[in-house]
Amino acid sequence: MKNTSFGLNKLIKVLYLIVIVLFLYLPIGTLMVLSFNSSKSMTSWQGFSLKWYKEMFTNDELMEALGNTLTIALWASIIATVIGVMACIAMSAMTDRKRSIFMGLNNIPLLNADIVTGISIMMSFLLFGISLNYGTVLFAHVTFCIPYVILSVMPKFKQLENHTYEAALDLGASPLYAFFKVVLPDIMPGIVSGFLLSFTMSVDDFVITHFTRGAGINTLSTLIYSQLKIGVRPTLFALSTVIFVIVLLVLVVSNFLKGDEEEEARKAAKSGKEYVYKGGMSTKKTLAIILAIVVAMAVAIRFTPSTPGEVGEKGVVYVYNFGDYIDPELVDAFYEETGYTVVCDYFDTNEEMYPVVKNNTADYDVICASDYMIDKLIKEDLLMELEFTKIPNIQFLSQNIRDFMEDFDPGMFYSAPHTWGTYGIIYNKELVDEADFAGDVSWGILWDKKYAGKVIMPNSIREADMVAAKLLGYSMNTTDENEMKAITDKLIEQKPLVYSYANDNARDLMIGDNASMAVITSGDVLYAQEDNENLAYVVPKEGTEVWTDCWAVPKSCKNYDGAMAWIDFMYSYDAAVANFEYLTYAIPNTQLEDYEYEDYIEGPRVLSEIEIVNPPEDVLARCETLQNLGPEGDDMYSKYWKEFKSQR
Amino acid sequence: MKRLLSAPFIIFLLAGTLIPMGVIAYYGLTDRSGAFTIENILAVGTGDHAKALGLSLLLSFAATLICLLLAFPLGLILKDSKLGKKGFMVFIFILPMWMNFVLRTMAWQVLLEKNGPLGFLGIINTPVAVVLGMVYDYLPFMVLPIYNAMIKIDNSLIEAAYDLGASKSTVLMKVITPLTVPGIVSGVTMVFVPSLTTFAISNMLGGGKVNLIGNIIEQEFTTTSNWNLGSGLSLVMMIFIVISMAFIEKFDKNGEGSMI
Amino acid sequence: MAKEQTLIEMIDISKSYDGEIVLDEFNLNIKENEFITLLGPSGCGKTTTLRILGGFTKPDTGKVLFQGEDITYTPANKRPLNTVFQKYALFPHMNIADNIAFGLKISGKSQEYINDKIKYALKLVNLSGYENRAVTSLSGGQQQRIAIARAIVNEPRVLLLDEPLGALDLKLRQEMQYELRRLKNELGITFLYVTHDQEEALTMSDKVVVMNQGYIQQMGTPEQIYNEPENAFVADFIGDSNIVDGIMVEDYVVKINGYKFPCIDYGFGKNKPVDVVIRPEDIIIDKPGKGVMDGMVTSNVFIGVHYEMCIEAGGIEWLCQNTRSWPVGEQVSINVDPENIQIMNKPQSEDEEAISLEDVLGEEQDQ
Repeated sequence: MKNTSFGLNKLIKVLYLIVIVLFLYLPIGTLMVLSFNSSKSMTSWQGFSLKWYKEMFTNDELMEALGNTLTIALWASIIATVIGVMACIAMSAMTDRKRSIFMGLNNIPLLNADIVTGISIMMSFLLFGISLNYGTVLFAHVTFCIPYVILSVMPKFKQLENHTYEAALDLGASPLYAFFKVVLPDIMPGIVSGFLLSFTMSVDDFVITHFTRGAGINTLSTLIYSQLKIGVRPTLFALSTVIFVIVLLVLVVSNFLKGDEEEEARKAAKSGKEYVYKGGMSTKKTLAIILAIVVAMAVAIRFTPSTPGEVGEKGVVYVYNFGDYIDPELVDAFYEETGYTVVCDYFDTNEEMYPVVKNNTADYDVICASDYMIDKLIKEDLLMELEFTKIPNIQFLSQNIRDFMEDFDPGMFYSAPHTWGTYGIIYNKELVDEADFAGDVSWGILWDKKYAGKVIMPNSIREADMVAAKLLGYSMNTTDENEMKAITDKLIEQKPLVYSYANDNARDLMIGDNASMAVITSGDVLYAQEDNENLAYVVPKEGTEVWTDCWAVPKSCKNYDGAMAWIDFMYSYDAAVANFEYLTYAIPNTQLEDYEYEDYIEGPRVLSEIEIVNPPEDVLARCETLQNLGPEGDDMYSKYWKEFKSQR
Repeated sequence: MKRLLSAPFIIFLLAGTLIPMGVIAYYGLTDRSGAFTIENILAVGTGDHAKALGLSLLLSFAATLICLLLAFPLGLILKDSKLGKKGFMVFIFILPMWMNFVLRTMAWQVLLEKNGPLGFLGIINTPVAVVLGMVYDYLPFMVLPIYNAMIKIDNSLIEAAYDLGASKSTVLMKVITPLTVPGIVSGVTMVFVPSLTTFAISNMLGGGKVNLIGNIIEQEFTTTSNWNLGSGLSLVMMIFIVISMAFIEKFDKNGEGSMI
Repeated sequence: MAKEQTLIEMIDISKSYDGEIVLDEFNLNIKENEFITLLGPSGCGKTTTLRILGGFTKPDTGKVLFQGEDITYTPANKRPLNTVFQKYALFPHMNIADNIAFGLKISGKSQEYINDKIKYALKLVNLSGYENRAVTSLSGGQQQRIAIARAIVNEPRVLLLDEPLGALDLKLRQEMQYELRRLKNELGITFLYVTHDQEEALTMSDKVVVMNQGYIQQMGTPEQIYNEPENAFVADFIGDSNIVDGIMVEDYVVKINGYKFPCIDYGFGKNKPVDVVIRPEDIIIDKPGKGVMDGMVTSNVFIGVHYEMCIEAGGIEWLCQNTRSWPVGEQVSINVDPENIQIMNKPQSEDEEAISLEDVLGEEQDQ
């Protein structure tokens, strides 16, 4: 008999395998290492710490997201498995032609881009007036899990001896009994792998969940994504590491048990001895699987959202906010103080929030939105007026902010600012020529060839355009075609010099010394300085964008008084301090002016002295707010942005 | 009787796949005011969209080819080795999915960043990094079907080929490769289509400099709020899906190239 | 064999798949304690007949009576019949004992009874002590016997066997043929056996039903089927035959290519074209001039017990079998005893026309 094996010698084969496995597990190892980093930064190692693991268990929100992830995955894969197996039974009785049509349709969700699947399902729900909730997420997950089940089970059906089923009937079994006793054990491996694959895919999914979830539903994926704006907290790395290790252990154990059993059978066959067959699965393996399921169930039940049980007598306030945009402790504090229970939901960008509010897919009581979006929502009549008599603490709102509000909420009827800031350049003193930053700094420094490959620009349309517009002396809200062309040309000219276009991780890249300067919002600066003391911030002389993120109440509000109480609470001294310490974003609250902040670079200072959070008058005089330009304006910016982006 | 069992599946197929497809088609074929137009479809031909589509096709082709070149020898090695136990393979390639997709891709970003452990490669924020991300994320979808097709090949076939005087390379070309075709077709589709439509990978590893058709679609849906254009472009993408399905139908009638 | 009352009646059964007729107004009576065999080429409808009896397929029209009671639409699990499947259909995830106990457990028998039955059945099929073995550890013949054991412990009134020996080698097959016959006698139940192997059919059966294209071609004892085939199909399918055109000159005289042979058939009328069947072993070979036709040996092959020779005589190539060898090229003459000449009418109806030999041969090649 000739050797049927292929390939070169054994060493090369083993090396090849090792390289592939390394490739697969390198990023995973990286995340595990980062989960022990005492810094929040992903780019610099600041020492070993277990604090993220501690934080993980005390973070209710995280645990709730974990609970949602597991229950959704569990139910979705159970339902998908049942439906998929039923469909396979039905298809095995169909003609080949009909079956291949079904199999083709079954492939669509697998091959479709996630974003198209997610958005199309969301749009269908909206079309039929179904409001998004836990059930809609579950539905979407079942939809994309079924194909995996069918693809794993159908081949088993084809291999199946149809005669064994008939034999069972022949021996007096009812069709149901025959199915469970004879067919099911035969196709069990396919069912198990279909179930596990579904479960995995469901846990891993982000895009589809994101578009189909309703108020109060977060999974780990959406939590991670909503944190991108503020920076992913390493608690998520810690949690992922724990989950990964648990799954690894379960799979290794069950794999070894299975391996033993096969080994035993092989030995018995070789020695010609009697091998006592133990049925479809060994007791050990069955036990392991049952155990795993029970654990999953227990975890799921333990962390199932328990809000209905402990609702305060005043009811629930549903808050729709940017991810990680308040100190999470405030939710409990608010309950203690007012008796309202708060359920928070998160989005990453204003544009993601907009369709949810507009189509009223989930009934939120309070939302947080940026200035231009507030303008848009007001113009489309989607907001309710605020009753400021119910928000006495509004007296502490800083005056300079009130001036800027004239641009988007004239007379201040609909919104109350939460945070604010400017855009400017963060630079690394060690990596730039100090002379360049000695006097007034121009946006033009970002076009300086000396810094080629060391500049980070924003990856969002309006902010990137703003930089070029200011440099050219235009308004950042221009709708003049010629000016737009000039702006676009300017950005294209800069493109070869740019290291990357980044929103989420510009700050992290600066902390890790990966670039010399970046366009960044002032709120991120103090945070960044905490991890890298060489960083400094400057607002260029041509002026910049000042932004305000505000609380507002959508028309869908069901608990108006609760909403007012929430906004009022945010203006209390304790809440303002907590938010500032948590976010390091400027909070427009006069009570904070005297608050002493432990500045990482210059020691303790009162906030009014820190220019980053409290820009001087002359800087503010050069600032402009971003305005909503309507669909035509959006389309125009989008068109030029695509032109710029498609340049290589 | 048995056919009734497919009812829930058909309901999900209708409500979860076909109706949403119809909605996409409706949006794609109308403008903001709701009037019929095919402009959103034709938009794919305009300069910027065509460029992005071209780049997407190029990068996803490269990613698919690399996945294939990695997976084929891997399949051969595993077919012969003791490690080639089915559970083990699935295990190795599915396990990474338990780390969240966003986090995994983010980890590559950390590794490849200029001052990162692999920064010396200098590929971050280039199309090369995007291809690497695609290969990383979709390799399992290539390996598993190829591997499954290969282990189904009866060794006696290979022995018969040797017996008839074939050389190793002839056996590889004339026996193993043709019999692996269902797996290859299924793998190629499962890698090519998601690579073509990805936006997250190019966003994170391309530094915003690599603009793919997926990024444009995502931008239309999430930033510009032009759902009509986004849907129109998605419809164009569906053409590639239909082509893929036709390929699978042609080469993998019996679902031999399945993943598990 | 004691011929008792009718157990099963199949009345006017028709069945077609995708417009192709498999059974056409098929009628069959099965008597109690009979060993009856359905014999025919693949595609003749014999397996469909069995499946209709077993309850796995519903006929398009017609009905099935069991002791006079209509069971056409009774599901398989409620019928007092058990089947032994072609590919055994043992449950791979159960051991031997569990396989045999399957039906008994469903009918709610006590554990004690089940254990006794398993022992008894295993002994019956000569596999005592195999209770705890895995199905996959058995050889094909052993698996086959387990499949039989699994069926008979339920004490069915009728055992349906679907080409149960098809996958076994020759030696084993012969052994099992004997075993089946023995079992049949020990159990005293009705066996309905399906095969395409004529030797198997002739060896074991009390009654053979030859089928083709959904019709019964002939029904009778093995001797009747072999010695008196009613048409060309049966003659050709059962053993080797020479089937030649002839003319019935008058009663007791048939003319083949101008040569007159005396025969024992009558009632065909005068100068009627007929088919003449002559078995190869019935051709008497002798020196030239001694027989009716003169001719020459064109080939000669030794095939064990006898020699098989082709003799060209009277313009026809005759297949002959004889214990004595006649060398190739030798001039000989041939003759046939009158009682060994079988005269058949030419096919007249369209249906009968369909059963041409070309079809049969073509189908056999397809297998």
